[in-house]
Amino acid sequence: MEATAKSHFTGKEEHAPATPSFAFWRPTAKTGLMSWLTTVDHKKIGFLYGSFALFFFLVGGCEALLIRLQLIVPNNTLLTAPQYNTMFTMHGTTMIFLAVMPLGAAFFNFIMPLQIGARDVAFPRLNAFSLWTFVAGAIILNVGWFLPDGPPDASWVGYAPLTSKLYNPTHATDFWILGLQLLGVASIAAALNFIVTIINLRAPGMTMMRLPVFTWMTLITSFLIILSFPAITIALVEVMFDRQFGTNFFEVSNGGMPILWQHLFWIFGHPEVYILILPAMGIVSEILPTFARKPLFGYPIVVFSGASIGFLGFTVWSHHMFTTGMGTVATAAFSLATMTIAVPTGVKIFNWIGTLWGGHLKMRTPMMFALGFIWMFMIGGFSGVMHSAAPADAQQQDSYFVVAHFHYVLIGGSIFALLGGIHYWFPLMFGRRVSEFWGKLSFWVIFIGFNVTFFPMHFLGLNGMPRRTFTYDGNMGWNVGNMIATIGALILGTGIAIYFVVVIYTYLKGEKAGRDTWDARTLEWSVPTNPPPEYNFAVIPTVHARDAFWYEKHHQSEIEQEKAAHHQAEAAHGGIHMPFQSIYPLVASTGALIGAFGAIYHNLIVALIGGSLLFIGIYLWSLEGAEGYHIHPDEEGHDATPAPKH
Amino acid sequence: MRLTSLLTTLARRGRILLALGGLALLTGCNLDFWTMKGHQSTIAVDGPVAKSQLNVFLVTCWVTLVIFIIVGSVLAYATYKFRARSEADEQAVPPEQGHGNPLIELGLIGASVLALVIIAVPTLKSITYTADVPAEEKANAYEVNAYGYQWWFKFEYPAEQIAGSGQLVSANELVIPAGRPVHINLRGMDVIHSFWVPKLAGKVDMIPNRGNFLWLKADAPGYFWGQCAEYCGDSHAVMRFRVIALGPKDFNNWLNAQTAPAREVAKVASTDQPKAQFAAYRSDWKRNEAGWSPQFELNPLESWKAHQEPDAKHEDTALIAKGRALFQSKTCFSCHVVRGHMVGGSGAYPELTHVGARTTIAGGLLENNAEQLARWISHPDVVKPGNKMYVNGYLANNIKLTPDDVSALVAYLSSLK
Repeated sequence: MEATAKSHFTGKEEHAPATPSFAFWRPTAKTGLMSWLTTVDHKKIGFLYGSFALFFFLVGGCEALLIRLQLIVPNNTLLTAPQYNTMFTMHGTTMIFLAVMPLGAAFFNFIMPLQIGARDVAFPRLNAFSLWTFVAGAIILNVGWFLPDGPPDASWVGYAPLTSKLYNPTHATDFWILGLQLLGVASIAAALNFIVTIINLRAPGMTMMRLPVFTWMTLITSFLIILSFPAITIALVEVMFDRQFGTNFFEVSNGGMPILWQHLFWIFGHPEVYILILPAMGIVSEILPTFARKPLFGYPIVVFSGASIGFLGFTVWSHHMFTTGMGTVATAAFSLATMTIAVPTGVKIFNWIGTLWGGHLKMRTPMMFALGFIWMFMIGGFSGVMHSAAPADAQQQDSYFVVAHFHYVLIGGSIFALLGGIHYWFPLMFGRRVSEFWGKLSFWVIFIGFNVTFFPMHFLGLNGMPRRTFTYDGNMGWNVGNMIATIGALILGTGIAIYFVVVIYTYLKGEKAGRDTWDARTLEWSVPTNPPPEYNFAVIPTVHARDAFWYEKHHQSEIEQEKAAHHQAEAAHGGIHMPFQSIYPLVASTGALIGAFGAIYHNLIVALIGGSLLFIGIYLWSLEGAEGYHIHPDEEGHDATPAPKH
Repeated sequence: MRLTSLLTTLARRGRILLALGGLALLTGCNLDFWTMKGHQSTIAVDGPVAKSQLNVFLVTCWVTLVIFIIVGSVLAYATYKFRARSEADEQAVPPEQGHGNPLIELGLIGASVLALVIIAVPTLKSITYTADVPAEEKANAYEVNAYGYQWWFKFEYPAEQIAGSGQLVSANELVIPAGRPVHINLRGMDVIHSFWVPKLAGKVDMIPNRGNFLWLKADAPGYFWGQCAEYCGDSHAVMRFRVIALGPKDFNNWLNAQTAPAREVAKVASTDQPKAQFAAYRSDWKRNEAGWSPQFELNPLESWKAHQEPDAKHEDTALIAKGRALFQSKTCFSCHVVRGHMVGGSGAYPELTHVGARTTIAGGLLENNAEQLARWISHPDVVKPGNKMYVNGYLANNIKLTPDDVSALVAYLSSLK
């Protein structure tokens, strides 16, 4: 237990690695601000991703509450029209790009390497670069709050030509464009990193069909990111060129085609939806078997359906455009393609129920969130099937029915699973566990608040209330629904507040959790201490079965012999190799941040300074080399010797 | 912990309380919300296109509801049946470590595909039906053009040519013949808008540089609410319009009235007194305050008809003449067309030749009466944030209106029946 307190991850570890022999200065701080700024440890980076994501989740939540308060009664004057438009633009953009995606990335970072028996991701410094570039993008997206131009207000889909200089003359839209560009860079770099990690760094015996489902979903999501983000990158470059250099991609008076933006945006935007939900499905596929105490039902089919959802996700983008007059053939084709997605999605739900069937269900907080996920995701999925029928969608598109639908899949789906995932992996990450009572209480308040908020929106939408409207008249039959929804939003907000207070309290003072708190099945729980030591595994495990850790627990003597042999072999090779920390990812990201400001304000000098800094950062980063040092933990995970040099 | 146990008890009792509260909410509240019979209902529809779309929705709704009930029951049963009931139960020997059953999987996939076919067939039928006017009705179809501007709608009637000034043009209220299919060409003139009259048809976007269209038919004469359904900037929420469907005779009368030039106010008989109305305009409007009266709602179509008739007995000819002069001197005419009264204006701004005969102003937002007209003319920026009349008109040309000016303009515009 000594090692718990000294874990690197909590920033309390004392030993320092040897100074690098190279000419470059390498930061060695293991505590304090510098250790966080220069870290290349996937767990620290995951923790930072998660912290930023939860911060922005709260920001986006406050924006949502303002939106709901404005609509609590007809003809309300809490917000002005531009303020309201800003709120829903920033709410959508924040929740998607700054909350749910990075929260997924936090789990990818923290959990995935542990699940495959790796000691870090394949490119630790690239990982740090992803993190800091994400922060740079988040700063640019939100900087408008503090500047006279104000934050973006062209909605999260930014349909051309509303984003053109003519209709949006201030820099608000430039913040949005450049912010998303940087976030795209961050996401693509991170996704490539995860793909290489999963393909190359699996422990011996961890074949692809033994990968935990969460890791599979990480892999699929990462492929979706690298295939879909280029589309929005191109679209954003085009709109940026239109605004900054007077090109005519979307400029109607010179023959530009606004509809082009929609195609490019949604060919990114629909896979993006699965980028948000597949990690959640992965988390649920981990939680359910653990608490049902039996393996996932139909593992290959769950994996395959995840892959087909990802693949089909690229064939249905135009179902967001059923009302743009595509013609009967295209409409029918996209309608049918969209319906087919219901099959692999349904398969997943069947398999989750199959996992529960015949199990011994332990109703812990993560399990509550996972079950809540299945119910809410089912409702969201069914309203999704309703949208797939193009004629029905002609009435529902851009109405509150759609708002209800995507909140059921994004809150009831993604957020429920992510919140459950935090509870599930909390003991692993921090060595403490959330109190069952408070965890369940927060679940129920969130669950009730969520349904009270969003269920009435189905009715509002069918009764003809369009979305993105800052006001409505009292004679439309929408008053009661909006009132209920706003009350629900306040309940939901209370639930989220309870959740956060409980999590922060637990982080500081919660009950200590032992190793393998939940009697779990996958490798991340086999690490020697909670939180995991810097090097994750004293001995790289050998995987013999799909639920690798479960197998270990039930074949202890065999595994122990094996581990001893591996430990000797590893020691003979000079101990565990750890990468040096580096400041250059942060330098490069800072360059990107400064350069983006230069681009936004059309200031060549600032842009050049930023660009140079980015270049210098990357150049020195490659010059300093992928050096590292060695540590020698004993078999229980205690570090035996301070490491000598490389 | 006492607090914890107290809260646990509360949570248990709370469920019952909550259920009761929910029930009260369901039954006690205004039924409008649950029955969904509002002005923009997609459920209580009045035309074959909207009906076809509704039928597809109902098919999807029933199919998914049945699946939801089946899957939900199994899920609920499994959760209940297999939950650990005690500490001992949780510590028990793990259940059989089964990995699944391919036959069950295949069966369920097959069933899902079948359910989707049930949805797909009516979907495809409806896609074809709602796409364009059916061939057998083509000859009977009436054609109009609709244009979306920030933040109002323009309607053109290419079938109605007016000597010397081209086709009939109107704004924000589309009048169509009831019982006849109407083919509407849609175009966005600045950003993307969307044409949506939920009771008659689902929306189709009005996109710049792209010729879209939709068709719809009103089963019977009626007054329908519509609204822009694609976010189009500051005042998107208040970009509304109406569709009025009329029987053949009424429709012809309306066309005759509209194709005529703007009305000249005759001298009133000395026995008729002008209403002393313009002194009493409210000026304390709140920013988003509703601009409609409950009386109007009682029978919107009748209200519309009442708007067609000039209130000749109570018109103040002197005031109207003053308003007409102001319309010119304050440069209103340089944007707004008033056909027959003055030369000027352009098609990019709402045509006002017969504005008095419309039931709404400010893009379908306010009821067309003297009070709301005064509100609109006095503070267009407050009623419609960011609107072009204020920015490019009032501000750019430094136009100031005194209350007397407003009264005169209101009198003039109201007289344009």
